Amino acid sequence: MGLLTILKKMKQKEREMRLLMLGLDNAGKTTILKKFNGEDVSTISPTLGFNIKTVEHKGFKLNIWDVGGQKSLRSYWKNYFESTDGLVWVVDSADRLRLDDCKQELSALLLEERLAGATLLVFANKQDLPGALSKEAIREALALEKIKSHHWCIIGCSAVTGENLLTGVDWLLDDIAARIFTTD
Amino acid sequence: MDIQERNIRSCADNIVDMVDMDEENFAISSSSAADSAFDAVIGCIEDIIMEEDFQQLQQSFMEKHYLEFDDTDENKLSYTPIFNEYVDLLEKHLEQQLMEKIPGFSMNIFIDLLMQHKDEVPGDIFDMLLTFTDFMAFKEMFLEYRMEKEGRGLDLSQGLVVTSLVSKQTTGSQ
Repeated sequence: MGLLTILKKMKQKEREMRLLMLGLDNAGKTTILKKFNGEDVSTISPTLGFNIKTVEHKGFKLNIWDVGGQKSLRSYWKNYFESTDGLVWVVDSADRLRLDDCKQELSALLLEERLAGATLLVFANKQDLPGALSKEAIREALALEKIKSHHWCIIGCSAVTGENLLTGVDWLLDDIAARIFTTD
Repeated sequence: MDIQERNIRSCADNIVDMVDMDEENFAISSSSAADSAFDAVIGCIEDIIMEEDFQQLQQSFMEKHYLEFDDTDENKLSYTPIFNEYVDLLEKHLEQQLMEKIPGFSMNIFIDLLMQHKDEVPGDIFDMLLTFTDFMAFKEMFLEYRMEKEGRGLDLSQGLVVTSLVSKQTTGSQ
C-alpha cells in the first residue's frame, strides 16, 4: 500500500465512515440515497454506474456509495469493497420471485474478505407497497439468523416515503462507531 | 520564499541524519534527529508536488482519459479503474522522487514515522495529498479539464472586468 492510500486511511479514522449500498436492481438503492440526502425522488432511472453522496449525520461524515444492481453489473461490486465500514443491503420486499437470488447474492458478499469487518444493515424496502413482505418474512427468506460473521439488523422501510430510513442509518452508525471509535 | 528556503535546507542537510541512522533506530527513535528527518521528507514531498514533472504527469494522465468523463451526477463504472490508476501513478512518482532526492529513503520507515507524527504534518500538505485520493475531487478535476479543452470554460475576460470594478480583489489566477 502506498503513501496516499495510507494517509487516506489515517484520515478516515476521524469520524468518517464509508457505507456501501448494494442489492438487486430495482431494490431502491438510489432512491434511498437521494431521499436520505433530501433530493427529489420522483424520477429515478436504473443505475448503470454508481452514485456517491457525502452526508453529515450525527457528527459523522458519511460517504455513501450506491452501485448499480443489474446482473451484468454485479461483478463490478468488488471494486467498491475496500475500506467499507457498513454494508447496506437493500431488498425489494414486494419482489417475491427474486428473493432466492437476493439471498444468494447477499451470502456471497458476506464471504468477501474485504467486507469482513463491515456491519450489515438490511433494508426491507417498499413497505408502502400492498404486496410487500414483512421484515420478519424477509429475515426468514434471507436466513439472516444464520449470520454469525457480521453484526446485522433488518429494518422495514420505504424509500419513497422516507419511513424508517433514519432508524436504519442511526443503528448502523451506532454499531460502527462502537466498533471503530471506542478502540482508539 | 520562506517555504522554499526551508525545503532546500531540509532536503539537503537533514538527509544526512536519516542515512546515518540504522533502520530500527530511525523507526522508533523520537529524538530530534528523527524529527528533523521526518520534517525533511515532508518538505521534499512539498517540493515534488510543486514541481513541473508532477504537473506534467497529471496533465498527460488527464489528456489520456478526459473524454471518458461526462458531467452527470451518476458515475460510470469505468471511472473507478482510471481513478485507481491515477492514485497508483502519483504514489509511484512520489516514492520514486523521494528515493532520488533522499539517499537511503524507505517508504515503509517513513510511513511508520508518519503514523507517530500524524498530528504534526502541516494541514495544507495533508489536505493536498488527500485530495489526490478523493474520488469526487478527481472527477471534478477531469470535468474541469474537459470543459477547458472543449472551450466551455469560464469567460475570464468578463470575470476580470467585473470583479476589478467592484472590489480590489485580484482574480488574476483564475
